[in-house]
Amino acid sequence: MKKLILSSVFAFAASALSVGAGAQVIVIANPSVKSSEVSKDELRDVFTGNASALKDGSKVVPILLKDGPPHEEFLKTYIGKGDTAYRAGWRSLVFSGQAAMPKSVDGDAAMVALVAHTPGTIGYIDKASPHEGVKVLEVH
Amino acid sequence: MKRLIAVACGCVLAAAVPGCAQSLDDLNIQIHGYVTQGFLYTTNNNVFTTRSSDGSPAWTDAVINVSAQPNPKLRIAVQGRYFLLGNYGNALTLDWAAADYKADDRFGVRFGKVKTPIGLFNEIQDIDPSYIWALLPESVYPIDNRESYLTHYGGVVYGTLAIPHKFGKLEYRAFGGEGLYTAKDGYFVNQLEAGFNLPNDIKGPLYGGALHWRTPVSGLMVGASALKDNTWNALYTANNGALQGTETLLANTQPNFFASYEKNKIMVASEYTRSWGDQLVQFPDTPDSYSRNDDRGWYAMASYKITSKFTGGGYISQNADHQAPISSSRHYNEWVVSGRYDFTEFLYVKAEEHFIHGTGLAYDMNLNPNLQPNTNLTALKVGVTF
Repeated sequence: MKKLILSSVFAFAASALSVGAGAQVIVIANPSVKSSEVSKDELRDVFTGNASALKDGSKVVPILLKDGPPHEEFLKTYIGKGDTAYRAGWRSLVFSGQAAMPKSVDGDAAMVALVAHTPGTIGYIDKASPHEGVKVLEVH
Repeated sequence: MKRLIAVACGCVLAAAVPGCAQSLDDLNIQIHGYVTQGFLYTTNNNVFTTRSSDGSPAWTDAVINVSAQPNPKLRIAVQGRYFLLGNYGNALTLDWAAADYKADDRFGVRFGKVKTPIGLFNEIQDIDPSYIWALLPESVYPIDNRESYLTHYGGVVYGTLAIPHKFGKLEYRAFGGEGLYTAKDGYFVNQLEAGFNLPNDIKGPLYGGALHWRTPVSGLMVGASALKDNTWNALYTANNGALQGTETLLANTQPNFFASYEKNKIMVASEYTRSWGDQLVQFPDTPDSYSRNDDRGWYAMASYKITSKFTGGGYISQNADHQAPISSSRHYNEWVVSGRYDFTEFLYVKAEEHFIHGTGLAYDMNLNPNLQPNTNLTALKVGVTF
């Protein structure tokens, strides 16, 4: 029983630490987006197709990374789903005529380039990646 | 058929006109699709017009979706489908085709042949990659009767109503147009085999709406919808066309009440619906034939994502026609256990076991001369999507 409790405590601690790792992802937007901050609920709504604007009225278009640690971390931290379930949600919208699939890009550099040059776009990258030409949104 | 062609032409034209001034890249053209192949095995009765008691692979869906977005507010899309389930389908059809204009989150409109937004799953009940289940609960979403409920010709307005943020979000959908119940659907299978027919199907005006309240409790949605059919009538024939009469479906309203909770690895949902149906069949020189049904169905389901690739779940589903005499054909109850494994983002398999009690389902009587009150159903499916 002690072993079970110990392993549960360890698993919980590991889980907590991995959530902490989510802070390594930053949310970026084209400078045309008025907001300088965004809530987790807004992020989830925008990146699941439930909203196309932030609370202040800024219209935004989500851009996705195709894969990689920042993508997995973003989905885990802000959407609460893995990649397969997340994309299945978008496919529901596509095949029922409710939305088009968001653009996906190959990596942080491509993400920054696209967001920097496309008004209204919003994306995410690893905190350590260069991000000139975009604004960083504070998530609260 | 003319309407199908008109809708398809309208969508192509709508896509082509802005395209004259824009490159293909600007149109943001996307192509998506999926293919599923299923296998059914039952211990007793033959389900869905298949010979499932021998094991049947007659269960295929193939879908192709093409969309264009010439500007951020306008989207045009067309979806085609090949569907085969036993004796149903086996044809290429226009699934839906619509132009969608979304002014902002508060108001959007789509029109053409559009998905009818009722219930929790109706808009996606034929989109297999969307959910864990091989078969949605038959009590509310019977796969052998789905063709008549999936779409209508007309429009849908949709958006979000402004309510204080602390109360969550309130999404609305209102729709109207012309609906069509095809004689190729499950409700009509035994009449067809007995020599009756609806040569022009049966169609008429319908309208309704839905509200989805995304509550302040993260992941919890509560909703309701209503579908109102006006009185419809159509040519009805007997003796393989020798006798001509009229079938009338009297006006009725179908409500759905539903709730879902989805957070992290957990999904829980439940839904209740009631469907009244008053039918009048009239042939010259014979007494009118009047019948009524009062189907009440509900289900409760739950699933849990056990690993990043494997999801397990189960549901209970019950339906009863409260106008039918007390017997095993009055109801259709099932317990279901299900699993889905996603090998990759593009490839998955599903396995499901149904423990079915009652025969209140559209059984093909030619394939089931001795219906048994209980049967177990195994459903396997593999799907590829892109």
